[in-house]
Amino acid sequence: MTWTALTLVAFVLGVLLQARVRSPLLNPTLVATLAVVAALLLTRVPYETYARDVRPLTFLLGPAVVALAVPMYRLRALLARQWRALLVGGLGGTLCAVAVDHALPRVLGVGVDAARALGTAPATSPVALQLAQFTQAPPALAATLAVLSGLLGALLLPGWLSLLGVRHPLARGVAMGSVSHGVGTARAREEGELAGAASSLGMGLAALAVTLVVALLSAGR
Amino acid sequence: MAPELGFPEGSVTARLPAPARFVLGAGILTGFAALGEGLVAWAGWPLPGPVVGMALLWAALGLRVVRLHWLLEAADGLLGVLGLLFVPATVGVIQFLSAGAAWGAWLLVLVAGLLAGAGVAGVVAARLVRPEGGPG
Repeated sequence: MTWTALTLVAFVLGVLLQARVRSPLLNPTLVATLAVVAALLLTRVPYETYARDVRPLTFLLGPAVVALAVPMYRLRALLARQWRALLVGGLGGTLCAVAVDHALPRVLGVGVDAARALGTAPATSPVALQLAQFTQAPPALAATLAVLSGLLGALLLPGWLSLLGVRHPLARGVAMGSVSHGVGTARAREEGELAGAASSLGMGLAALAVTLVVALLSAGR
Repeated sequence: MAPELGFPEGSVTARLPAPARFVLGAGILTGFAALGEGLVAWAGWPLPGPVVGMALLWAALGLRVVRLHWLLEAADGLLGVLGLLFVPATVGVIQFLSAGAAWGAWLLVLVAGLLAGAGVAGVVAARLVRPEGGPG
């Protein structure tokens, strides 16, 4: 229970810090993660013990992801009018990220295990975890790199999209969801309901697209 | 909150106290998460149960099997702290910290993939967005 309490308090501190210092680097998820990682390293408590303690939080993630259907349903008329932008943009972005994640490790000479795990990072971590049996990636590493991809996306993408001149909330949302899934969607929701709904849609499309790519690649082997 | 919910005339949920309505909403959301998990396990799809549950709930709302006012408050509450619920997963990075030198290359690949993918998605979607007549 102690670790659950620490996680909750660290997250609230992150929210307070973000309200005070308006910097994208002070994402509450990142602040809480760093605080908990530091505490685990200092006390030498293994991750398994932590994961067991915070299981109630992990459990709530399921209903919370289901709840993403609500803003999507409320904005259904708008999303239906803009399906072309969402579908083409979302799928194009995910496939492009998957291509980079497959090609770049070869250029850089990344180890086989990590290269396999990187290939599913644009999908949400449960997808990466389940696809590990097809890609023969170490499951925990595949899931971890997927989550990390989400966290990096939440930190970097709002500024990157502004730099590219992408201002429409639908375009910003679908871009974040299509490569940085859940954590990215949590960040996109901070920009408004429309960006959040587009991001949830992008996350769902990415789950399907990455699964399809892995299925095609493993069928061709 | 309540006026926005738009309770239908004589709706039972309107008469429920707010905490009970929250429990009802949480129950429905958890039910759809379980439904998604069950369907995925039964069909053997390599997809996450909750994402399938999200699609099922969207369909159920569209077919009016489930009404929005049953679960709006619970959904808003959970989504308001969505970032918190990912912390246990992100802390998982700790298991691989000792992998050492490889981290530089892994991060480079992830960041390159993110910037390329989101860049393409954002620019393409922004070009294809149809202009909306009037506000909203």
